[in-house]
Amino acid sequence: MNNPHHLNPTSLKSRFTTRFLRALTKIRAQKPISSSSPTEIFRRYRRIKVAADKSMAYSVRSRRIWSRAMLWKLRSRSYRRQDPCSGRRSGKTNQAIMKKSSNENTTTRREDGVGFVEEADELRQLVPGGETMNLCNLLDETAHYIKCLTTQVQLFSPIGKG
Amino acid sequence: MDVTVLDRQQATYPLELFASSVPLFQSYLGSGPIVELKRPEAYLGGDGFHEFVYFPVGGGPEFGDSEKLNLVPPDAAPGYCISRTSSCQMTAFHAASMKEEREDMILEKMESTTGSGSRESFTKRKVVADHKSKDKRIKSEVEGESEVKTKCSTQVSRNSSKENSKACEVQKPDYIHVRARRGQATDSHSLAERARREKISKKMKCLQDLVPGCNKVTGKAGMLDEIINYVQSLQRQVEFLSMKIAALNSSVEFNVENLPIKEFPAYVANFPAAAKLPAMPNLTCFQLNPMQKEAVNCMLNETIHPPLTATEGIASASVSIPEQALSSSTITLQPFSTWNMDPQGLYNVYDMGFH
Repeated sequence: MNNPHHLNPTSLKSRFTTRFLRALTKIRAQKPISSSSPTEIFRRYRRIKVAADKSMAYSVRSRRIWSRAMLWKLRSRSYRRQDPCSGRRSGKTNQAIMKKSSNENTTTRREDGVGFVEEADELRQLVPGGETMNLCNLLDETAHYIKCLTTQVQLFSPIGKG
Repeated sequence: MDVTVLDRQQATYPLELFASSVPLFQSYLGSGPIVELKRPEAYLGGDGFHEFVYFPVGGGPEFGDSEKLNLVPPDAAPGYCISRTSSCQMTAFHAASMKEEREDMILEKMESTTGSGSRESFTKRKVVADHKSKDKRIKSEVEGESEVKTKCSTQVSRNSSKENSKACEVQKPDYIHVRARRGQATDSHSLAERARREKISKKMKCLQDLVPGCNKVTGKAGMLDEIINYVQSLQRQVEFLSMKIAALNSSVEFNVENLPIKEFPAYVANFPAAAKLPAMPNLTCFQLNPMQKEAVNCMLNETIHPPLTATEGIASASVSIPEQALSSSTITLQPFSTWNMDPQGLYNVYDMGFH
């Protein structure tokens, strides 16, 4: 299917496309594709998924709360993988701060006076970094997140379909 | 927008009230300001109307020297405000100059329109209307019942009084201008609450445009559920597609640096899978043999268990279906290409594989 959407070189879609394709080629180059064992496929799937998340988060930079949260999550995960003893001080303090704030916000039931607490909490679990948002920001972030997810889906389907 | 407001008002109020009151004004005011005068009538209904109107009809003392024409509402059309002021002024004057029997008729009609209104707001408006010296002067000119005149003044200036009661609160800080509804509190807390609620409903409308199929559901809770479902389905779609990419046994190397963005689809189409896909539906390498199905199952278990949401129907269905798929024979390629569809299509895929 012809996608004429790649005309703008600075749009989110093109940024995401270049990044993800680069990551994809790297993944394919790493392992020989001859093996089709489920674990291999699963591992590759994980890597692809992380690559997709990462490229999307880096395309959005720090302009959005959810992208910042996702970037933080990716970085903390890579830190943990590199150094399981977690000798990095900055990462640790950041993690502690983030956890503390998220715990506070999740334990204190966010009653925004509008009355959609359960649905809002569900949405917060879905959108990355949603625990620290009030309803107003949550809706904004959800809209942008939906836009980015649809971009990803639009991108993946031609690759998957072939 | 004004027309739609009028329609809304007419929808909420019985039509005969409007029909009775408006022609009466038309009859004695001539044809000119009819259109403008309808809007004060529209304001008589007055709910759900969040246009800011800053409206000193008589130039009461609290407004100082502010000429009414200088006070422009932030988002409403200035012409609207001006026309309303002019029309109301005209009505004031006409009220001063009209004959008694007509006045009684009109008063009756106006009372009938406002009869259903809340009493306490009516009294509040009466109190506020007392501040308007000019109106009182006009009313005192007319011979007869002064009480009726004040009533009439409140009727005529009820719209202004509403804004005055609001304006007294909002004038000094001069922040967000929100219109108070009839019978609603006007303290700063409820103001802020209302402003927040308006922002949230505006954002919900934007989300409604993004999420397909949200139009059928009414109410914010239902819409939020739809949004949640949509986000979940999108996330699952992304995961399934990345799974598909991982499972594709392709060895095509494409050089991304030299890749012109416009030709991306062409490069993608160069996957050998593209050629094989339509030709051999039972291609062994693309078939999900039991080993691959286990991989799929692992992935599904991982993706399904984290989002434990209230949408149990979807969650339980998606958990149960892979189990069925595992117990079945191999899933053929044909359903594989339909994985691009929404999760509903995916469930069809598994059903097809099951049979």
